[in-house]
Amino acid sequence: MVKVLKKDQIESFLSKLKENYELYGPKKKGFEVEWAKLDGSLLFDFKNSSLSPKSFFFPQTECMMHFKNDPNDPEGMIMKPEPELDSKRILFNIRPCDAKAFSLLDKVFMKDEASLDVYWKDKRDKTILIGLGCNNPSPTCFCLSVGCGPFSEEGLDVLAVDLGDRVLFKGITERGKEIISSLDDAEESDIKNAEELKKNAESKITRKVELDNILSKEILEVYEIPLWDRIHETCLNCGACTFYCPTCHCFDIQDEVQGDYGRRVRNWDTCMSWLFTQHASGHNPRGTKKDRVRQRFMHKFKYIPFRLNGEIGCVGCGRCIVRCPVNIDVRDVVNQMNQQLK
Amino acid sequence: MLKEYTEQIREVAKRLLKDKVVDCVIGYRKGTVPMLDAPYIAYTEEEADNLIWSSFCVSNLAKFLIGRKGKSAIVAQGCISRSIVNLINENQVKRENVYIIGVWSPGMVDRRKVLEKFYDKEILEVEEDGDELIVKGKDFEGKEFEERISKNEVKRDNCFTCMHRNAVIYDEFVGEKGEETGGGNIDNVAAPWEKLSFDERWEAFRETFGSCIRCYACRNVCPLCYCSVCFVDESKPQWCGKTQDEADIFTFHILRAFHCAGRCVDCGACESACPMGIKVRRLTSKLEKDVRELYGYVPGLEIGAKPPLAVYRPDDPENFITP
Amino acid sequence: MYARRRFALLKSLLEYVGIESDRIHFTWISSAEAGKFQEKAKEIVEKVRKLGPAKKLVKDIRPKN
Repeated sequence: MVKVLKKDQIESFLSKLKENYELYGPKKKGFEVEWAKLDGSLLFDFKNSSLSPKSFFFPQTECMMHFKNDPNDPEGMIMKPEPELDSKRILFNIRPCDAKAFSLLDKVFMKDEASLDVYWKDKRDKTILIGLGCNNPSPTCFCLSVGCGPFSEEGLDVLAVDLGDRVLFKGITERGKEIISSLDDAEESDIKNAEELKKNAESKITRKVELDNILSKEILEVYEIPLWDRIHETCLNCGACTFYCPTCHCFDIQDEVQGDYGRRVRNWDTCMSWLFTQHASGHNPRGTKKDRVRQRFMHKFKYIPFRLNGEIGCVGCGRCIVRCPVNIDVRDVVNQMNQQLK
Repeated sequence: MLKEYTEQIREVAKRLLKDKVVDCVIGYRKGTVPMLDAPYIAYTEEEADNLIWSSFCVSNLAKFLIGRKGKSAIVAQGCISRSIVNLINENQVKRENVYIIGVWSPGMVDRRKVLEKFYDKEILEVEEDGDELIVKGKDFEGKEFEERISKNEVKRDNCFTCMHRNAVIYDEFVGEKGEETGGGNIDNVAAPWEKLSFDERWEAFRETFGSCIRCYACRNVCPLCYCSVCFVDESKPQWCGKTQDEADIFTFHILRAFHCAGRCVDCGACESACPMGIKVRRLTSKLEKDVRELYGYVPGLEIGAKPPLAVYRPDDPENFITP
Repeated sequence: MYARRRFALLKSLLEYVGIESDRIHFTWISSAEAGKFQEKAKEIVEKVRKLGPAKKLVKDIRPKN
């Protein structure tokens, strides 16, 4: 199902959807781009949002359950779950790399019945993703090298393409098709236009990242390359790359207590912190900076493909490259990893 | 002019490595992102050819001296050399293990200021040309642009009010000594919230620090934050919550600033490292001003100086005490 | 004596971010001055009470109802 919508009719389209859904989209704040509730217009002139939209499904601080330590209260002494999401949502103009990241995280958070993450699932079930193809990728994008692309459809319900004065919508899933069913059908010229834009965009991503040796060699061989002795020296071990990354998903669970009320919260955590792997006994399996920096790259490019049947744990969005305070460029690191494994 | 510095730094580095005076040279290399040059550690003469000096060197290299074995050379301008003096005074670094290659700083460019100027376009490359920057890129329709802007407009806040652009201690000085100060007056701009009422100050504080995502880039880039267990990582008892609750975020920043009281040299690395662009220096510059005014101490100028919070004078100001 | 310096800086910093100055007090009392301790405690409690409940830098995790 391929539909088209003129840009001057976007406002009425959105106001119809607002009756049943909460609408979110990117909004410019200076030179940064944030996610905010839509007010009637859609932003098309942007590269990618500053923070990835993973907070829609995996908020930075999430209360999982609460309890009251009062044996006399009939509601006390029972762990109560937090209320589920009360309304359905649509995320507009999410980039294909971010959507692929969510489909990758589905394999982690919803792997099987026994380990199902209900908080993630609830939000994912209630959110529709409308992606926007990247007509002009950034120089830091390298999605093509990691199994994604500027017009990739994986993880999206609808893929939109900016054709200038109008927007093409391609329905991918059933619920995506339902959202756009009321729009006009696209003409042949629109579809051809979109194809051209896709080819152009793919040719603009010139920087390649090579992964063939990393994916084919044994884990221990990748573990022992001499690169790890050099690359960790200038890393600050902060968490900037982790928190901006759309595929990073590690967290820390804590209980907080105040008076007789308590709650269990889950916060984002980063494997860059020494505290992340600190054992109560005092032993730390990743006690040195070298261990932690090696962990980051091996997890994304070796362990995840190993455990999830070849899926690469990075979608090539380039946010870590732009945000790292000391400019440790993942593309350089991975290319060097590959080189040293020849 | 900066190209000459680059050449000379490379010469010095190669000589030091060849004569085995040092095991490595800590400096900067060209970054892969416009306006950000990355810290780099060169071990061989070949690698020393990657060293550069530019207006985009915004980290604090003194951080990489902590816990380093052997003897290292380090490229240091005023604020970095003061950080090194601080670390020597606090016994984190031995003077004989550091070979300081002193250099003059032109004042570093705050890349966020340039990004703000071109907020509706994408910057692909920035070159320096004397006092100007040549900014090249494309707008969202793909049309290329090239524009010149004055470096002065986009310098880092702390570089404007810098009082020591040349290295204050060094084993060897590279190139000519340049102008010592940045031209601005710190007392005019430090602590801008002093003019506001209590509630206005709280609002300003909330707005400035409210977007913090607790990545700890500010803490990790600061050479003064070298505690093996930072207070935020303590769990028995837990000093500071780890959630995004406002009180937790603010507690972290207030306490971290306070731990740097009397030691911070205002290098600005915290503000440059913050990926959210938070003006972290609002708190540290207030403390730096207080220490200067109340106790007459400027950190990082003298090896062997006693830290201000480890000494007292009988006539220290007492006007804040409830009688 | 060392505390005097630290406290001066801490009070200045907390006031700078907007915590009202009457919430932070520092005074010299020796363990032999029990009477003064009691007096000061009453005085400071009164001053703080006048300012009302603290709303800044307060973390309350209980549900609003």
